Amino acid sequence: MAVIITEQIEKIYNPDKVPVHALRGVDLEIDEGEFTAIVGPSGSGKTTLLNIIGGLDTPTKGKVYIAGTDISTLSGNGMINFRKDHIGFIFQSYNLIPVLTARENVEFIMMLQKKSKKERDQRANELLDAVGLHDKKNKRPMELSGGQQQRVAVARALASKPSFILADEPTANLDSQSTADLLDMMAELNREEGMTFVFSTHDQRVIDRARRVITLIDGKIAKDEVR
Amino acid sequence: MMILKVAWRNIWRSRVRSLVVIGAVLIGVWSFIAMMALSLGMTGGYVDNAIRYQTSHIQIHHPEFNEDKELAFMIEDDLTEDLEAKSEIVSTAYRSIANGMIRSSRSARGVAIKGVIPEQEERLSQISEKIVEGTYFQEDKNNQIIVSRELAEKLKVRLRKKVVIQFQDLNKEIVASSFRIVGMFSTGNTMADLASVFVLQDDLNELIGKDNALHEIAMIIKDVEQLENVQQDLKSTYPDLLIENYREIAPDVQLYESQIYVSLSILLAIFMLALIFGIINTMLMAVLERTRELGMLMAIGMNRIRVFFMIVMETLMLGIIGAPLGMLIGWLTVKYLNRTGIDLSGFAKGIERFGMDTVIYPSLDTEMYLQLMVSVLITALLASVYPAIKAIRLRPMEAIRKL
Ligand SMILES: Nc1ncnc2c1ncn2[C@@H]1O[C@H](COP(=O)(O)OP(=O)(O)OP(=O)(O)O)[C@@H](O)[C@H]1O
Ligand SMILES: [Mg+2]
Repeated sequence: MAVIITEQIEKIYNPDKVPVHALRGVDLEIDEGEFTAIVGPSGSGKTTLLNIIGGLDTPTKGKVYIAGTDISTLSGNGMINFRKDHIGFIFQSYNLIPVLTARENVEFIMMLQKKSKKERDQRANELLDAVGLHDKKNKRPMELSGGQQQRVAVARALASKPSFILADEPTANLDSQSTADLLDMMAELNREEGMTFVFSTHDQRVIDRARRVITLIDGKIAKDEVR
Repeated sequence: MMILKVAWRNIWRSRVRSLVVIGAVLIGVWSFIAMMALSLGMTGGYVDNAIRYQTSHIQIHHPEFNEDKELAFMIEDDLTEDLEAKSEIVSTAYRSIANGMIRSSRSARGVAIKGVIPEQEERLSQISEKIVEGTYFQEDKNNQIIVSRELAEKLKVRLRKKVVIQFQDLNKEIVASSFRIVGMFSTGNTMADLASVFVLQDDLNELIGKDNALHEIAMIIKDVEQLENVQQDLKSTYPDLLIENYREIAPDVQLYESQIYVSLSILLAIFMLALIFGIINTMLMAVLERTRELGMLMAIGMNRIRVFFMIVMETLMLGIIGAPLGMLIGWLTVKYLNRTGIDLSGFAKGIERFGMDTVIYPSLDTEMYLQLMVSVLITALLASVYPAIKAIRLRPMEAIRKL
């Protein structure tokens, strides 16, 4: 079943002044359980596409369906609430709330979902164990390495039980060992829990781990290969 | 609640910046309390003095006496029994009053000559406690007079010297008699002190030519809260007499009381305004430097209501944590100063003339502390709106773009 469907998405930045055609008609379908990389040269529109799929930005033309919902029908707060329940995000950096510990960061999103304290505790513990941070639960982001912070971000993204997880260059700030560890972990979650991952990257080693690679060039899908 | 936890911890991210605001609130609250207590201490002293030495709580006169000050306008009814029966009235003094001149060999001045019964005045006006030279009225002596030290200075007379008082009697004939100064008083209110002299009622009434002459009944009541009730009660019993409370007798007291409140309110408004700007400034900085983080929070699903709430809570906490401490220090300051008093004798030359004590005892009702707390709360609440709106106006995508 498709969790993400895009129909002829176009995105033009600054349509009035100096228009930038970031996306020129993107048709895409991503099914449950995929482990998909979006690649392409700098400026090809990867971030723009992920932001539109994630409901952080709106397309100039075209439609986006997430888990069957046309997200253009959602208003400001409605969109935020929709993201909370359906989409997990992992950003390049600044993923975490600096004043909260790893455990509290994971709990926070479940608090937004009004989950009980008991459920939050239990799931935060499980997830942090799963991402290999059982001894770092009470550390604040500042006290964690970049790789560890990204693991917390993964745990946080999983905590809300989203339909899929979007990650825009999640390894851009990591060394090669942390990159490999993070990818191992994401791949394992994908294999064992069936969690859908869509991530953008420049890193060939990351691209090699993907099972489907979509290449964007100049705002268009140039290649779409499944391995 | 988790958002409260986040808000609280956020305050401490820029420790110094937050401490500046907290310190400003603390010092503001503290100094405002001290100021308020000082002003109210001054007013309180002024009003107390006016009541004690001049107006009492309630005075009864012939309705025309106040305007003309003529001897003929006497209180004819006998109220003694009736007033004694009223339990709200603590003490009463009956006076005859002649307006005339006091003369020494060197000088003369116009004064109100009050014929009093010493024991009554002792209980009511406490002039007896303000004798600074000589004694209060002594027994079995005729023609004693008590004047203020200031008046004695003007007349250039000393204790135990003779002065002459003179006025028109009931038949418009000038009468005069000499009196010996047995004591001098000073209440602190120079203007009032210069205006009156005290003699025995029998001596004065003999000069007036009517042995039961009565012009003024002054009384002190048990509970000032009951002032209006007691006054109303008397008014209905004696519709033909003029019955006034101390505010009516000395309108300056009331003016003074209300003026202090007006200036304190203005001061509070200025303080609140400064506080609002300080808090807004700090919170705007806090919001702007957290643009990405707020963008991230909205991206992962923290909706605008919650973001708004978080910023409001943060501002409230920042704005009010200084207040209780400021109040505590303020309270201790007031308590301490109330014990020791503030001696203003350095400026006393000016102040005394207006009837204020030279030593001020600041004091403040609990109610004032509550009012101040509420003011600070409202201030912080007002200050929180703008930064919170700024925060929810952020577009998450744009905020995150800045990564
Ligand atoms: N907010 C914006 N306003 C104007 N132009 C923009 C904006 N964001 C992106 N663009 C332009 O849109 C195009 C696509 O940008 P996008 O960030 O999606 O590329 P990308 O593939 O993510 O690049 P990178 O690999 O460098 O992250 C670029 O030409 C970029 O300059
Ligand atoms: Mg990008």
